Amino acid sequence: MFEHDSEEILAKRRFTRRAAIAALGQLAGFSLLGWRLFQLQVVGHGRYAPLADENRISLQVLAPKRGRIFDRAGVVLADNEETFRATLVPALSGDPAAVLGNFHRVVPLAPDEAEKIVRRLKKQSRHSAMIIAADLSFDQVARINVLAPHLPGVRTEVAWRRKYLPGAAMGHVVGYVGNVEKVSADDGAVMRLPGMRIGKTGIESSFENDLRGTGGTQKIEVDARGRIVRTLEAVEPRAGQDVILSIDAVLQRKVSERLSSERRAACVVIDVSTGEVAAMVSVPGYDPAEIADGISDDSWRRLVEGEDKALLNRAIAGQYAPGGTFKLVTALAALQRGTIDETSSIDCTGRFEMGEHTWRCSKGGGHGPIALHEALAQSCDVYFLELSRRLSAAALSDAARTLGFGQTFPFGLQQQKAGILPDTGGQHPQAGDAAAAGETVLAGIGQRDVLVTPLQLCVMAARIAASKAVVPTVLKVSSIGPSAEFAPLAFDERFIAAVRLGMTSAVNDDAAPGREAQLGNGQPIVVGIAATALAASWQSEKEQAALAWEDRDNAIFVGFVPAAAPRFAVAAVVEHGGTAGAAAAVVRDVMTAILERYRPTLVPDDRPDAAKSNGRHDNGREG
Amino acid sequence: MSYSFGSVPTMTLGQKLWRVHWPLLIVAAAVAAIGTAALYSVSGGSFQPWAERHAMRFLIATLIVIVMAMIRPDVWLKAAYPIYALALLLLALVPFAGVEALGARRWIGTGAFSFQPSELMKVALVLALARFYQWLPAEKASRPQFVVIAFLIIMVPVALVLRQPDLGTAVLFAVVGLAIMFMAGTSAVYFLSGLAALAAASPLVWAKLHDYQRKRINIFLYPEQDPLGSGYHITQSKIALGAGGLTGRGFMQGTQSRLDFVPEKHTDFIATLLGEEWGFAGLMVLLALYMLMLVLLYAMAMRCRNSFARLIIGGAAVTLFVYVFINVAMVTGLVPVVGIPLPLVSYGGTSMMTLMVGFGLAMSVYVHGREAVRRDGIGPFW
Repeated sequence: MFEHDSEEILAKRRFTRRAAIAALGQLAGFSLLGWRLFQLQVVGHGRYAPLADENRISLQVLAPKRGRIFDRAGVVLADNEETFRATLVPALSGDPAAVLGNFHRVVPLAPDEAEKIVRRLKKQSRHSAMIIAADLSFDQVARINVLAPHLPGVRTEVAWRRKYLPGAAMGHVVGYVGNVEKVSADDGAVMRLPGMRIGKTGIESSFENDLRGTGGTQKIEVDARGRIVRTLEAVEPRAGQDVILSIDAVLQRKVSERLSSERRAACVVIDVSTGEVAAMVSVPGYDPAEIADGISDDSWRRLVEGEDKALLNRAIAGQYAPGGTFKLVTALAALQRGTIDETSSIDCTGRFEMGEHTWRCSKGGGHGPIALHEALAQSCDVYFLELSRRLSAAALSDAARTLGFGQTFPFGLQQQKAGILPDTGGQHPQAGDAAAAGETVLAGIGQRDVLVTPLQLCVMAARIAASKAVVPTVLKVSSIGPSAEFAPLAFDERFIAAVRLGMTSAVNDDAAPGREAQLGNGQPIVVGIAATALAASWQSEKEQAALAWEDRDNAIFVGFVPAAAPRFAVAAVVEHGGTAGAAAAVVRDVMTAILERYRPTLVPDDRPDAAKSNGRHDNGREG
Repeated sequence: MSYSFGSVPTMTLGQKLWRVHWPLLIVAAAVAAIGTAALYSVSGGSFQPWAERHAMRFLIATLIVIVMAMIRPDVWLKAAYPIYALALLLLALVPFAGVEALGARRWIGTGAFSFQPSELMKVALVLALARFYQWLPAEKASRPQFVVIAFLIIMVPVALVLRQPDLGTAVLFAVVGLAIMFMAGTSAVYFLSGLAALAAASPLVWAKLHDYQRKRINIFLYPEQDPLGSGYHITQSKIALGAGGLTGRGFMQGTQSRLDFVPEKHTDFIATLLGEEWGFAGLMVLLALYMLMLVLLYAMAMRCRNSFARLIIGGAAVTLFVYVFINVAMVTGLVPVVGIPLPLVSYGGTSMMTLMVGFGLAMSVYVHGREAVRRDGIGPFW
């Protein structure tokens, strides 16, 4: 015991000795620092202070001019407007309150504005400038400069204000700019400039890095009173890059006007030859100019909290059950896997049993024995439910991915949603849950386990139209280099042609479910598929019309035009449109608008009857 | 047979809290407050983006110190070698895994706190050496074979970070490690002959340095060679400090250090801003606070009754000293620019966390290690 203690005491004594030496070394180190600081700060003060003080060199950060946004024809969608503003540097003004009093005589300030400014000035560095008035007229700027001797610390400067093409048509695409809310430590000095604005959503946000540009700097020599003696060196700010969109502003406006008769809807138009998005509209929309110029709290709250979620871009972020439009996926999956061929027939009794539930087909008495073409043309649910039963969730999902579902595109708009596919959704029933397992077949007609966006629907239409893996873009392709050739789709051309033919009948037959999308005699042929989704079972059009708005089915239509040489793919979703015709009618009007603008560039179309004779003879019965 | 630190088993949480060395934490809080004020000033009188987060980080780190203080030191003792081995492994993986993988190796919290292997090693090295000398009977500390083992424990991580390359951290590892060897009682002869050997080998080291490291040293020796490039920073830093004079220009009145003349003004060069705004007097107060922390740490070490505890606390003290010394020497142009922050003042979660975890270890061994060690409960490695 004693031995241990004495050993411990020895060890402790040795540590104390060694620690004392270490501490002495550290004291010496601190003394060296103290001596060095004394040399620099006290002895060297006379030498360094003038270097820092007399004709102080000040570095000013110059704001870059934001890049503009154009439509494909060169229409300016977002531009910059020169404005004048006045800033105040407290350190140079002596008594800011008095200076503001003088300033008030040139530029009238709101009653308590001067006090607010003085209060805010106290909270910031005396050397940084604060904006005290914006949007000055040229006359006011001139008077401020004339009265400069009475306004020490006040400077006028040119600033840029974002100006948008008026109206709500472009809001969701272009987005808007707003104040920098939180500066992160890694951001450059530009982000801390007073009045700096950055993109908040849409193109303004996703192309922020291109649009923002690079700040310049200006080293100026100022005297003790803050007057600029001379500019030593200046690095001009580099303006942001312009962004040229694939959107056609005229078409976009027309689509927007057409959609605005619906309460909530979205429509996408894609040029299938390039993947360029020619129009993309979501209603309700908003006017970006209203937001960027400082929106009132009330209006803002209406936008954000409103039932219809005006800030949501439904075209890329609205996720909908695709309904019968998903039959195209089911058909191609089944054809490609050899589950069926074009002539295989399935007997539709009008009912499909799945576990505990029964799905009623669109035709009460059943279609009888029916093959692919008629099944598409007459929108037979039982046919596709049977295909779905024969296909695995993975097979269905693979085909869906090939056609553009379950993914986002490197597309330039960040808010995109990927949707849900049967093998990704996490909505699968537990194994052994027979009733629920029976219902997974509903994925094959887009009523369960599948969610898609209008953009994805339009991509599907474009891919089926072109037989190629069309990749959408919102940038004008010619502005970003030569267009890449799209890869062929992973489906046999024969199968895609069969599906296209079925779609042709689904619009153009006498009683076709999508007949409202027909453009009329002498007009090009529309190819497409109409559907409703959400409903648990089929209801007649009459029943749908009688339902309350929010209980009605969503109406969906995808298609392309013209039939012979497809050029434009269109997808429309009308929330609670009730019947498929609601979406088909939208697409008809959109296609009419497209033809008004692009008809001369389209390959001359074959006659409607020619297309019909190419196809099989429709049965011409009720749908 | 179990490791034991005296009357530990009978201590309640309240008793442990009572034993925490609160004065050290109070002084640390004062230093962190100075840092917060400086960061508020750097951003032109705003808590964003740095000051607010700095204060938050310090509060969280202090909580971690207190929580660590409640943990029995046996835990650290047992974990010492595994932690060291882990840190070594991660350090060795850095060249292969690359920077991206580093980001994935955050093992505490999210966002605000992240660890790089070299940060983990700063703590692990102290732990491993203290563990080693806890095992090694004091009279054997100077035997060549044990000196070699301790030397290897230090130099393997030094070599690994030199390869990264990170000169500042390598110096930190070497100085802290050697200081612990010294405090553990290794004969002074080794240190003196080591110094002589180093002087002789310096031309070799020069040959092994990276170009940019040589450039830094050259510029350090002859700053006028490159007044607008790297030397410009040191020149501006000196002007800012000199402009501060004896008492400084006053809070938020610094012009040089705020106007982007001084690089890294919120991190490694923050002493420049303090020197300009608070003058020589202000920096002396700050250095006095650091010295007070060192004194308190040594006083804590003296009250501990086992070697592990003393060396852990000694290691924390030396780490603090090396940070402060290299940083202030750097901004005053005494040593070349290496990326070492001013502890508790510079903005940056990683370095603050590393330092505070070191303090947490020190607090743990201090809270539990003050009583006489119960000799009958001590295993063969004691």
